[in-house]
Amino acid sequence: MEACPGGGQWLDAHYDPVACVNTFSSCVALADLSGDGENRLVVGDVGGSGGMKLKVFGGTALLSDSSLLDLPAGLAAFFMDLHEPRIPAVAVASGPSVYVYKNLRPYFKFTLPGSEVNVLEQDVWQQVREGHIDHVTLKEMLESIRKQADVPLSVRSLHFLSLDAAATDEFVQLHKQQPIRRQTVITCIATLKKSTADEDGVSCLVIGTESSDVYILDPEAFIILSKMSLPDAPSMMDVTGQFDVEFRITVACRNGNIYILRRDSDKPKYCIELSAHPVGLVRVGKNVVVGCMDESLQAFTQKGKKLWSVVLPAPVTTMASMDLPTRGFQAVLVGLANCEVHLYRDKNLLSTIKTPDAISSICFGRYGREDGTLIMTTKSGGLIVKILKRTAAFEDRDGAHGPPPAQSIRLNVPKKTKLYVDQTLRERDCGAAMHRAFQMDLSRLRLAATKAYVKALESSLTPMSSSLTEPLKMNAVVQGLGPSFKLTLNVQNTAACRPVMNLAISFLYDESLYRMRNPYMRIPLLVPGLVYPVETFVECTSDKGISDIIKVFVLHEGRSVPLLTAHINMPVSEGVTLN
Amino acid sequence: MGLFDKLAGWLGLKKEVNVLCLGLDNSGKTTIINQLKPSNAQAQDIVPTIGFSIEKFKTSSLSFTVFDMSGQGRYRNLWEHYYKEGQAIIFVIDSADKLRMVVAKEELDTLLNHPDIKHRRVPILFFANKMDVRDALSSVKVSQLLCLENIKDKPWHICATDALKGEGLQEGVDWLQDQIKTMRT
Repeated sequence: MEACPGGGQWLDAHYDPVACVNTFSSCVALADLSGDGENRLVVGDVGGSGGMKLKVFGGTALLSDSSLLDLPAGLAAFFMDLHEPRIPAVAVASGPSVYVYKNLRPYFKFTLPGSEVNVLEQDVWQQVREGHIDHVTLKEMLESIRKQADVPLSVRSLHFLSLDAAATDEFVQLHKQQPIRRQTVITCIATLKKSTADEDGVSCLVIGTESSDVYILDPEAFIILSKMSLPDAPSMMDVTGQFDVEFRITVACRNGNIYILRRDSDKPKYCIELSAHPVGLVRVGKNVVVGCMDESLQAFTQKGKKLWSVVLPAPVTTMASMDLPTRGFQAVLVGLANCEVHLYRDKNLLSTIKTPDAISSICFGRYGREDGTLIMTTKSGGLIVKILKRTAAFEDRDGAHGPPPAQSIRLNVPKKTKLYVDQTLRERDCGAAMHRAFQMDLSRLRLAATKAYVKALESSLTPMSSSLTEPLKMNAVVQGLGPSFKLTLNVQNTAACRPVMNLAISFLYDESLYRMRNPYMRIPLLVPGLVYPVETFVECTSDKGISDIIKVFVLHEGRSVPLLTAHINMPVSEGVTLN
Repeated sequence: MGLFDKLAGWLGLKKEVNVLCLGLDNSGKTTIINQLKPSNAQAQDIVPTIGFSIEKFKTSSLSFTVFDMSGQGRYRNLWEHYYKEGQAIIFVIDSADKLRMVVAKEELDTLLNHPDIKHRRVPILFFANKMDVRDALSSVKVSQLLCLENIKDKPWHICATDALKGEGLQEGVDWLQDQIKTMRT
């Protein structure tokens, strides 16, 4: 248990970095599975290191784990009957089926009805069975059917098309006798109270499928009560209301839109088009909060009106709602890729929880006997349990958002002067001419600058050498008040690795004004990168308080054209003026 | 005073002392108090306490009035209103609930830092209850997790108990009685 900065509202109850739970928020639920008032954590583990498992945690321990037949797509705990003791059943959606567990034992399996099969495909396989066509023809015909495809191919045909030529024979022999079936796959699952809003009321299962349908199942008989269709395959779902009264299903689909389904309509009522694909979907009260792939958190009303949007510091990994009815507190927990979990109430960031690893699933609710428990699993399979302090208070830290308070202070803007009015009138009247004049001056300025630059380059007047063999840089510093000055020249070889040799420095100055101790100096070998200070002393001989320019040349031995030239504006000798 | 005490003892009048019984919900406070009562006054069924209840029992020299506080989260803010009256505290811990040991510690820290308790030398008796449960932590482990060694300015004592059978309770109550007696004299 380590200290958690910024999470002063939470107690670190448990952290097991090697709990081996690889799951997502859709496969986690809290439920009182033993009916003793202590909630357990049910996890549909997608495996990774081990197999796919249904795990149950209680307190800090793993209470049970049982193998799952297929990869879990979603998990929900719900009451399916009114029998005492009130123990909820667990529904695990995997593949085309929902497996219902009661008392952690398999109880019922519901499989979605098969979809319609392509008639042509059926004919082709029929012919194969009768031995009329060989595998090459089969492959060609299936390919052509797939291209026309008003009804998509079955899984078997798609599998066949993906096989190598060598493996096709065995595959056909194995499968040709069975009839073709096309099964859709469940993508998400949720629960919907049937007729009462009670905490322990009987709930229906709501299932979203790959074939873009949403089914509502009767909890006792497991028959389809209602079927609704969407424009695209659903990926996340939130359900509220009661089946017999009025309900709303908010579905995030793979096409990046959110659709809102209502009772008495098998088509979506409203559509929210998002700027980026949704990663997490949470309902807070009557609003929908969506975390998107463009690192934003957006809120919409039930009717699809956008309320607010917040930019997040990192991509969203998962989301969950934090609902504390006893304190009237509702917020959204957002797991981020930078190993943080942010808590938002509306658009205000309330607190940040640092986690040792990126979070893959979040679940908030009653665990054990504690109402405000936050359970998170990490990407590496760790399990973190945090408990909300009884005394925790969340304050809106609304500092960064919205207009600053200074904005509402009225500035004392002075009245418009006559000059201002005149200028404005002039600008309005002859704006074009002013612009032209400005542009011409700008061009002239550019020309003058370019000319000066070319001249400097031609006469090596720059303090940077343009020669490729001796790339040098120099700057000069004059120190002192006068009449004696110290002149320091910092020479640097800017080449990558080649040293420069046989250089000298010479000065050109007015000999009636200045006297120099050594007007010609040899420079040692210059190692690349290092700065070599070359120092000399200059004495001003004039007492008239005037100054002049001293020109510095860096020369290569045996060449008359200087490599570098620098003009040093000497300061006025203050020592003389004082006299 | 000593003579008066003895006289009171002969007459069967015992010193009254107010004790607070605190701890998380489901830790066994009411069960412990029930066990300490005379067997003819014991209740058969223990239900979660709402708010608080006042119970009385006697030991060889003292007459205890126990404020049995409810441990449920929503009633825990009632505790602090009784700190002033309490001359001793019984703090009950569910040794089998490892997950909520941090919550117990948090509540204990809040208790110890409360102005009504902080500067008083109130004896605190800890009952590490539910020792009969299979995975229960030992009393040493419980005192480690609650950082009891940091309590320097108050006398405290921890007992491993099983309130269903009544094991360990008498030892704790004897200690409490001695502490209260030494406080008085």
